[in-house]
Amino acid sequence: MHPEVAREPADNLIYNLAAKLRRQALWDALALLAPPLLAAIYVIALPLGAVGPGAAFLLFAAALALLGALLAVRRRPAPPNVATAARLLDARTAAQDHFLTLATVEPAACPAAFLSRLRRDAGGFGRRIELKRDFPYRLKSSAYWSFGLSLLGALLLTFLLPLAAPGARPVAPAERLRAVAQELGRKPELRQLGAKLLALAARLDEPKMPREEKTAQAEELKKEVQEQQKKEEQKENRELLGEAASALEGVEQQQAGGQEQKDQQKGGGGIDSNLKQEGKGQSEQSQSGSGESKGDSTAQLGTDMQQGKNSQGNPKEPGQEKNQRPGDSMQGSKPDPNRPGKEKNNEQTAKNQGGGKEGSGKEKGSEEPPQGAPPAERFYKTGEGQEGIKNAGYVTVQLPEELAADGKGETRAAKDGKGGRARNQVPLSNVPLPPHVPNAASEKQPVPIEYRGMIR
Amino acid sequence: MEPEQFREVFQRLEQEVQKVIVGHDDLIRKVLIAFFAGGHVLLEGVPGLGKTLLVKSLSRALGMSFKRIQFTPDLMPSDIVGTEVLTEVNGRREFQFKQGPIFAHVVLADEINRATPKTQSAVLEAMEERQVTVFGESHILTSPFIVLATQNPIELEGTYPLPEAQLDRFFFKLLVTPPGPAELREILKRTTGTESGEVAKVLPEDDAGTVNEMKQLLRQVMIAPPIEDYVVRLAHATQAEAQNGGPQSSFKQYIRFGSSPRGAQSMILGAKGNALAEGRVHVSYEDVEKIVFPALRHRIILNFQAEAENISADQVLAEVLKRVPRN
Repeated sequence: MHPEVAREPADNLIYNLAAKLRRQALWDALALLAPPLLAAIYVIALPLGAVGPGAAFLLFAAALALLGALLAVRRRPAPPNVATAARLLDARTAAQDHFLTLATVEPAACPAAFLSRLRRDAGGFGRRIELKRDFPYRLKSSAYWSFGLSLLGALLLTFLLPLAAPGARPVAPAERLRAVAQELGRKPELRQLGAKLLALAARLDEPKMPREEKTAQAEELKKEVQEQQKKEEQKENRELLGEAASALEGVEQQQAGGQEQKDQQKGGGGIDSNLKQEGKGQSEQSQSGSGESKGDSTAQLGTDMQQGKNSQGNPKEPGQEKNQRPGDSMQGSKPDPNRPGKEKNNEQTAKNQGGGKEGSGKEKGSEEPPQGAPPAERFYKTGEGQEGIKNAGYVTVQLPEELAADGKGETRAAKDGKGGRARNQVPLSNVPLPPHVPNAASEKQPVPIEYRGMIR
Repeated sequence: MEPEQFREVFQRLEQEVQKVIVGHDDLIRKVLIAFFAGGHVLLEGVPGLGKTLLVKSLSRALGMSFKRIQFTPDLMPSDIVGTEVLTEVNGRREFQFKQGPIFAHVVLADEINRATPKTQSAVLEAMEERQVTVFGESHILTSPFIVLATQNPIELEGTYPLPEAQLDRFFFKLLVTPPGPAELREILKRTTGTESGEVAKVLPEDDAGTVNEMKQLLRQVMIAPPIEDYVVRLAHATQAEAQNGGPQSSFKQYIRFGSSPRGAQSMILGAKGNALAEGRVHVSYEDVEKIVFPALRHRIILNFQAEAENISADQVLAEVLKRVPRN
């Protein structure tokens, strides 16, 4: 059937149904494609909002959407044409291919009388048809599948992306300083200041340069920047200078934090505390080695702690038979009559608490402040005096570097066991470092259970 | 002529033949379709089923001349097509062509498989060319012309089965089946009483003009391209495995040779005739499916495996119809 031929009701019926079927096919395609596309958009938006614009996530989501579109295009049903509509009409009205013939024959090749009769007969069948009633739109099962799978995919990605995404990396103050310096360098009037910032950033990387000097230079430059900021009239420049001042402040804090860290490192490794400790029987097990705790057992101790185990080592080892089971760690004060080792352990604890000394004789227990400055002073904040903190606890952290330095075959604990001061060996701690320090220890680092309450 | 007139004439012819032939309505229709489509029919059935009566009744209803040829092994081609006879006219002797029984509108070739291949060839040539050549002189056969050949499927001794090439020239091969009890009772009632059915002439004597108009009208029936495709696919599906290289199908393992293009032509023309007979001016899928068996059953040559397993051509065609989708 050709458009130029005058249409009669039967022809109109076929064309109307074909158009309706095309619309239905469009809805079907939309119902099939929209859920995965929306899910892809959601997945794209998710990493942008949650973990930053990760190119990998963008690419993944785009590839997902593209794959979905390709599949839909490849597997799409043939668009309903006039012949399809005619077949449906024939089937619905039992018209014995009246509509199919009308829709597909070449009118020029057919006798006019035959054609008009065919139209008349088809029209008679067509009167039985009401398009809305006989050909209603129904969602296909593929649409439901598409919706369900897209929803499932989106939910899975919602929960999996944060796990897969790396944490936001803190920007080092020196890097920030360089970035601000480059920004300043683009402004002719601030170019000189930018150059100074770049020079400072370069000096910050020099390991030989003393921290005090770096801090002083940063402070000096900060003042200069602040003065310039006051003078500046343009809002944009003022904001830029504000950023520079902030970056310099960050440098100062970093240097100050580094200094504090250094001070702490000087104080010695391990964790010492002046807090009254409950369950001290366990916490002091390693101190009571009395020559039995050798370097290898200390190494084992460190490993166990990293694995979240009890810090008391392996209770099955003969040299450590006094050690307690992991589940007993918080019940150290209760003696277990079935376990002689435990009794021994408690006895040992009592000795330690009562001032009894074993091993080198120099050991003062965990209540003793570390070497160096008096503990109360060492853990005061700036501006706080003796009266500022009362009954305050303190911790001494053995940093990983220090442990590495000590761990060349002989650990501090081993040394202590041989005659040095006995001390708990804690390779990692959750003592918070200043936030601007790169790779600052987070609170999630493993720490022995018995120290958690104390540190917090 | 209008389609309505065609249908009216067709129905009257059917009714007239049905007066004497009981229980073979479909057979009668198919024979009439073949007649108006310009084809010839091979009737296969045991003796005594009314094949000859059918042909005689049909020729009478059509008002056409009828000749019967009983095929025997000693039948010569000249006995069918005619021969030159030396005659004396006005004191002069000359050869004059004496027409054989083939010169009739409706020819019954009874037990065609009993004649020698040479004689069969003479008939089949006449069927295809619609002319005969005797002593170098061509003689046009009468129009319309239809040959209704019969053959007995059980008595094969002393017969000469028709070669495939000659079978292909028959438009339809129709199976004449024995009547059922009710039909037999009706036959007895009509033939053993005092009343005998008389076939009336539907068309005037030798009204070739009307018949040719009807034949022309049949060819004008419309057929949709998708239905033509269906016919092509059906014909192609009968091709043997080695011919089309398609995947191994259960029915194709029994086919030695598939349908020729004549088979597809027969299907379309037969479907057109069926459509007109049913009062339509276009072919439907059902028309094609009704015609598949008579149009293709003698054009599919089955192999030895089919013969060994007692598989008939109709079984293969039923499988073809099942496997080939309409669209």
